[in-house]
Amino acid sequence: MSPKMYRSTDRRVAGVCAGLAEHLGLRVGLVRAIMAASCFVFGAGVVFYAWLWILVPLEGEEQSLGTPLLDADGTPYLKLFRPAPESSFIANSDTREATATQAGRSLGIREIMVGAVLVVAAFALFSGPLIRTVNVGTLIPITVIGIGAVLAWMQLDATRRAGLLNAANIGTPLAIVRFSAGIGLVIAGVLIAVSGSGSWSLAWSSAMASLAVLAGVGLVLAPWALKFWRDFQKERTGRIRQTERAEIAAHLHDSVLQTLALIQKRADSPQDVTRLARAQERELREWIYHDADETSGALVARIKSVCAEIEDLHGLAVEVVAVGDAELTEQRQPLVQATREAVLNGVRHGGTTVSVYVEAGVKGVEVFVRDRGSGFDVESMPADRLGVRESVVGRMQRNGGTAGIMSSSEGTEVRLYLPIGEPTMEDMK
Amino acid sequence: MSVPDSANLTGPPTEAAAAIRVVIVDDHAIFRSGLKADLDADIQVVAEASTVEEAVAAVTAQAPDVVLLDVHLPGGRGQGGREVVAGCTAQLGHTKFLALSVSDAAEDVVSVIRAGARGYVTKSISGAEISDAVRRVAGGDAVFSPRLAGFVLDAFGTSEVAVEDELDKLSVRELEVMRLIARGYSYKEVAKALFISIKTVETHVSAVLRKLQLSSRHELTRWAAERRLL
Repeated sequence: MSPKMYRSTDRRVAGVCAGLAEHLGLRVGLVRAIMAASCFVFGAGVVFYAWLWILVPLEGEEQSLGTPLLDADGTPYLKLFRPAPESSFIANSDTREATATQAGRSLGIREIMVGAVLVVAAFALFSGPLIRTVNVGTLIPITVIGIGAVLAWMQLDATRRAGLLNAANIGTPLAIVRFSAGIGLVIAGVLIAVSGSGSWSLAWSSAMASLAVLAGVGLVLAPWALKFWRDFQKERTGRIRQTERAEIAAHLHDSVLQTLALIQKRADSPQDVTRLARAQERELREWIYHDADETSGALVARIKSVCAEIEDLHGLAVEVVAVGDAELTEQRQPLVQATREAVLNGVRHGGTTVSVYVEAGVKGVEVFVRDRGSGFDVESMPADRLGVRESVVGRMQRNGGTAGIMSSSEGTEVRLYLPIGEPTMEDMK
Repeated sequence: MSVPDSANLTGPPTEAAAAIRVVIVDDHAIFRSGLKADLDADIQVVAEASTVEEAVAAVTAQAPDVVLLDVHLPGGRGQGGREVVAGCTAQLGHTKFLALSVSDAAEDVVSVIRAGARGYVTKSISGAEISDAVRRVAGGDAVFSPRLAGFVLDAFGTSEVAVEDELDKLSVRELEVMRLIARGYSYKEVAKALFISIKTVETHVSAVLRKLQLSSRHELTRWAAERRLL
């Protein structure tokens, strides 16, 4: 099947020619030339252009608006007067329903428009011989009205593109100028056509009369229009809020509610409860303060995830405070592993909350791991405590860093230091 | 000014002369009552409030020594704790604010400190710790959590500078103190590690707090702007 046709956003008037050219695989200039040339054949080009303008959606515009397609050979076929396919309107969520009704409403207007255009087209075709006999006096006002209508319609089109009457868009000076110029031209054209004679005094008095009528109608309709506008805005903000709410609800359901259910099940095991609560807290924090953490580079993120893993395993809190950040290079992997061992030791033997402080400066990366356990004598550290001696101190030394352990009855602190840019022992070999 | 309904009064302040008078501001009633039960006997809760307006009214009416202030509060213009501090500027000479939050996001912490709070602790700390923090704030000192110390180091930079007593830079000593606090040391442990008295530690921390509140240092401004604090 041929790709759907869209009006191009890179446009001169309404993007019809550019869209058509893209759709048919022709050059834009050629399509524009054909379109312009066909205007002189009883105005067919104008009618065709207007028809496409109304019916073909702008690129990126909502797709559910029952828009017509063009066949591969370029002949448009219309599926507008058929009831719109159910599948495109009925969606599985509530939020889609509003869109569907909106689409249905604009479809009604569209049908009227298409009908009107077709009537005009038919009239133009059948009265073709007449057009040549029409004098300049009636041609000018009709042209003026046409141009005015196109200008005003461009305005409507622009607002429709910006998500159905975007308040900000109406305020742009260009839009106002375009709109009022269109209105002015239409009024002028109508006046010239009606007065016919071209007498200025008559035109003036009829202008005053029509202005008075317009003002009266406007006065009557203004409250209604205002109310309609307010309702529309209210509905729009309501829908946005509803979507946001649904998203948050979905997230809370997937995470927090599930965890709460698990916690109730494991209520008899305090360690499980702490572990679950901690994991959930971490996850929720990440979700809420996501952008605050975006600046973190790879090293801090890695250390945080390693600590999170230990938290999950042992159900004890590991608080990570980080200052600065560094790239997670091959050389720094051992630092992360040593940090992991140190934290594990703190959790296992200290049995308390563990504080981790990471400072990545210009000279090197320093990591402090501190627990509040009863401590141990570093000098008489039993040889079987391979964990600390081998995987912390040894690992750091092998990779060009240092490690120190301080322990007292108030807790143990492990200090890891890895200078930046210094070649490791492995590299030298 | 009338005190709102939820600002419960618990007797005249003369009951215990030495007691530290505290107002608890938090929108969760469960948390308020839990905190009240956790606080030591020499700390007397004179009022509670759950919104920005109630908090400003209660603080103005009671003139407490310390306000335990949640960073996120309903009401007002939606600025939470920051707005309460801003609304009580007349009281700032006497009343000290201690920010209290589950959030450890930089924008929450630093904004409330820059508004005038004397310290920041997370809600997960124990009753003894929070009582200690209240006493310290009431005594005119600052209370820094490890995370707040981390933010300070992040904002002011960790490279050592020779110039002492400049608003835009941390002195070598202040850097050392901040580092130790970020590592999870208590004031007492910091004092022991640096061979200085606790009083000196407190002086350093207060100086850092003042710098954090007043500094318009280029890097700090940029740091704050990056985190949308300004």
